[in-house]
Amino acid sequence: MKVSYSKWRWLLAPVAALTASAALAAPAALLNLPDFDALAGKATESVNISLDTSLLGLAAGFLDSSKPEDQATRELIAGLKGIYVRSFTFDEDFAYPAAQVELVRKQLAAPGWQRLVQTISTRDRTRVDIYVSVDRGIANGLAIIASEPRQFTIVNIVGSIDLAKLHRLEGKLGVPKLDLPAEGKDGKPEK
Amino acid sequence: MSEDVENNEELERRLRSALRAVDPGEGFAPRVLARIAAEPAHATRPARAGAVASWLAFGLAACVVLAVLLAHEWQARRLEQGREARRQLIEALRVTDEKLDLAYRAVNTHGSGAPAEHSGV
Repeated sequence: MKVSYSKWRWLLAPVAALTASAALAAPAALLNLPDFDALAGKATESVNISLDTSLLGLAAGFLDSSKPEDQATRELIAGLKGIYVRSFTFDEDFAYPAAQVELVRKQLAAPGWQRLVQTISTRDRTRVDIYVSVDRGIANGLAIIASEPRQFTIVNIVGSIDLAKLHRLEGKLGVPKLDLPAEGKDGKPEK
Repeated sequence: MSEDVENNEELERRLRSALRAVDPGEGFAPRVLARIAAEPAHATRPARAGAVASWLAFGLAACVVLAVLLAHEWQARRLEQGREARRQLIEALRVTDEKLDLAYRAVNTHGSGAPAEHSGV
């Protein structure tokens, strides 16, 4: 039984469309993320990661090429210039100031940033926005803003990232594999 | 003129008297050798040179040890930074994948016709 790796097709198609689109003004794919220092004290868990080119290079040097997942990670980050993550988890609902999240959202209204996906779930009270930065027809940055009742996350990736490769790492980075329906020969889920 | 000649002869006589050969007597050579052996100044110079050489060797060894320690410290710090960078990279990719999954689930749910879900691609 083959596990489907095609779940990113829904996202890859718009990326490809944008890549092929007309040239746009050069955007700054690097967002100016707030410090969120005050939130770190209130959060039960916080992730604050800033990896610039030199740190990515350093990290790549510590990936073991003999391990398939490390090799895949090395290939994944080959075209990256930076990864910046801010993620905060709280023990009560919406303890984070929406204004600061909006501040980041405003930066994504700048020319060059295109919103690929917006999902709003009123049932789960979650909202995820995925943006891509396009420079002269080439995607050179990605931004994800995910607001959940007890967690909000901002991811800014500078450089070109292959989402299919990232997905192939699923299950190897600590993310449990989703129970996706396996595909049949015709590409449709097996029953 | 004759007075000058007399003075010169007198001077010559005195010089000859003063510079006449005198027998040092028996035991002169052993006394000289004994005195040379007892002279401390002769031993000081080599001892001082030896001390300087020792200090130089010690300093050089200390420099080598310090350099090795610094290199080891730098290596250890670099190793720690590299491991931390690797850990952060894996964590960043994990969070990214997790949030993409969140969007995927929402889109998938919307696609299956569940109510109260909105998505735009």
